[in-house]
Amino acid sequence: MGGTDECKTMLDALNKVTACYRHLVIALGSTSDSQNLREELKKTRKKAQELAVANRNKLTELLKDKTTSKDDRAEYERLWVLFTSSMELLEVDMKRSLEIGQEFPLKVPTRHLIQTGMTGSTTTVAARAMSVQNMKYDADSNIDTADLKELQAEIAQVGQMMEEMEMKVQVAPWAVEAKQEAGAELKSTLSVGNSSVGVISICEEEPKDEIDEGGDNNGMITCIAGFIFVAIVVIAGILGYFVIGG
Amino acid sequence: MTIRNVRDHGQRFRPRMACLKKVESVMLEMQDPKTGVKSQPQRLVITTIPHAITGEDIVAWLTNCYSIEAEEAWALGTMLVAFGYIYPLQDHKRLVIKPDASLYRFQTPYFWPAQQWPVEDTDYAIYLAKRNIRKKGILALYEQVQYNSLHKWMNYKWDFIVMQAKEQYRAGKERKKPDRVVFDCQERAYWVVHRPPPGTVSAMDYGLERMVDPNTEEKQTSDFFRRIMIFTQQSIMRPRVKSSVSIGALVKYSVTYNKHDPFLAPCLPSNPWVTDDVTYWFLNMANVGIPTKMRVERWTFSFGELLSDPRGRDDFRLFLKKEFSGENLAFWEACEDLKWGTAATMNDKAQQVYKTFLTRGAPRWINIDGKTMEVTVKGLKHPHRYVLDAAQTHIFMLMKKDSFGRYLKSPVFKDTQKRAICPDQHMFSVPQLEANARKRRPSISPIIVRQLEQEERARMATSGPVDITQYSPALCQNVLPPPGQAAAFSLSTWSSPAKPRPGALPIFSRSRWTSLQSVVSTPVDSEDEVERRRH
Repeated sequence: MGGTDECKTMLDALNKVTACYRHLVIALGSTSDSQNLREELKKTRKKAQELAVANRNKLTELLKDKTTSKDDRAEYERLWVLFTSSMELLEVDMKRSLEIGQEFPLKVPTRHLIQTGMTGSTTTVAARAMSVQNMKYDADSNIDTADLKELQAEIAQVGQMMEEMEMKVQVAPWAVEAKQEAGAELKSTLSVGNSSVGVISICEEEPKDEIDEGGDNNGMITCIAGFIFVAIVVIAGILGYFVIGG
Repeated sequence: MTIRNVRDHGQRFRPRMACLKKVESVMLEMQDPKTGVKSQPQRLVITTIPHAITGEDIVAWLTNCYSIEAEEAWALGTMLVAFGYIYPLQDHKRLVIKPDASLYRFQTPYFWPAQQWPVEDTDYAIYLAKRNIRKKGILALYEQVQYNSLHKWMNYKWDFIVMQAKEQYRAGKERKKPDRVVFDCQERAYWVVHRPPPGTVSAMDYGLERMVDPNTEEKQTSDFFRRIMIFTQQSIMRPRVKSSVSIGALVKYSVTYNKHDPFLAPCLPSNPWVTDDVTYWFLNMANVGIPTKMRVERWTFSFGELLSDPRGRDDFRLFLKKEFSGENLAFWEACEDLKWGTAATMNDKAQQVYKTFLTRGAPRWINIDGKTMEVTVKGLKHPHRYVLDAAQTHIFMLMKKDSFGRYLKSPVFKDTQKRAICPDQHMFSVPQLEANARKRRPSISPIIVRQLEQEERARMATSGPVDITQYSPALCQNVLPPPGQAAAFSLSTWSSPAKPRPGALPIFSRSRWTSLQSVVSTPVDSEDEVERRRH
């Protein structure tokens, strides 16, 4: 089953890059938009395309093999559905990023980015997508216009690839049965990677709903530790005062 | 995987949403640091998030920028919120603008309702899965229902949805705290607009999707000019009516129907779409015993109104029964049945109609002029759906000019008018309205309604209206059938293609057809007779 494991890791990578790309596109046009963001988008996109091509080759190779057993074939079809769904999301996000990129150019004198309240950078998201520790930025200053032409070409490429895939590979997507049942996302949601300063914040935007917990388990533990620390300092201070006073 | 055979090319356009492009330019203007809307930071418990705007600021800016009244600015602001360009920070489920200090924020361009990006259920499923993770399994009731139904019909994609939800959740955690809060609010606002929770009024209803973008400038090719030329040529050839005449007709229509339009005048007892109380529909059902005053008033407007309302038609039928001229209405109804019926029964129906109403000596003979009769009989050789149209129009005009006037003065109508009810207007308080909304139930299934209608029709057929030949022998020129046998040819012969009773056939000795098989030849025979009479 080396083929399926390899496929799964590649699909996981593609999935991760698609999710990060979507986060980056959502930040486009808002106040967290910047040169860096455009470059991040470009890099993420290129990585996604590489992964897509690699995945496609691997999966078509597996599916073309007529000698696979029924179970294997079912598994490969499931992976194929995962792949095509990822590609669809990616294609839509690319088209939207083209549209929004054209509407919000960065280098015009009266720049009106939408004040959405997001002001931070998206470096960490991009780093996650590219699987690197730190992002390096080395693009030209007119990346926002120059990139758009490339983007158009890439969208056409992706569209063509998907059409080819649909024609060549005979997989009935509706016949695939999912392995996960409803609510499967609740299992194993311990987050990996750097969460922000783990403070529980109460989101005022949900007055009637449940309290919005921003932190996760790590944050809870850190908070308790913080309180204990503060308590110890206070007690030490009081004792010291008594010692000095007495 | 969605079906990609339809080459989308971004061609799903919603014509009623052509305003979206204009709203986008309004949004851009609002961002101007000098002339735009002033923003302030929103203070939460730990974090401070910038770029919050108050409702009154928005309304004031709109009033100044477009030189409009405050009320109009308020309506415009509500539209901006309802479309999802601005979202409220408090009370996020009510998409209105409150012209006070309540806070709003601009939505990111990705989440704007763009014309050619339809809202995908896959994205909604991913969002619900993410929300499930965040709320640790406790979703709101309507969200739970949606989640279950999506899980059921999108099952083949479910692995992908779970994977993607987890990845998006983790990617979201990479950002700083304030940005995360903002992102969550943005996404939630987007889905409140596009998948409204119960109790939220949605602005996203639009008509059919079109294949052409109504906002694009069309290229001026020779085809474009050719179409313009054809259009203008046809407009020149069109018959024209003087505007005073057409406007007068419009004014008359508006004045007459003003109080009957639920948009312009409150309908009694209350509009079910607004208050969720269905008394209005119950009072105005087709088979109700006592109609409402408004309904009876509408019958007096025109004969078409009377006939199109089933209750009115019943009343008219009763009146005609008393006047012994029910065959006109019966013929008209038979023609309608032919026009709207299934193609398989058309031939039989046409022949039944001919037998019952048109042929000489028919039991329910109608009085139409010779020319129309000729045309109809000729058409019945090759019957089609509209073969009886000429005769139907003639009878309609006859009834309108003659019976309708008498009906309006008759005791039947006056009695109905007197007994008509005028319900009081409902005055619901807000908790009562909420209770009404909770008590909403689906109405009777249309299958059951149709069954009831068919039973009603069968019952009417068996009871049978009066046959003229029984009571007015003078009207029947050629044949005087014995009363008992004439009664056999009641409504049932045309409403259902039933077998005729054997005893009844001899009546038509004059018409020269002895069995149903020779029915087709009869029109030809009567034509021969006509010809013979000419010589």
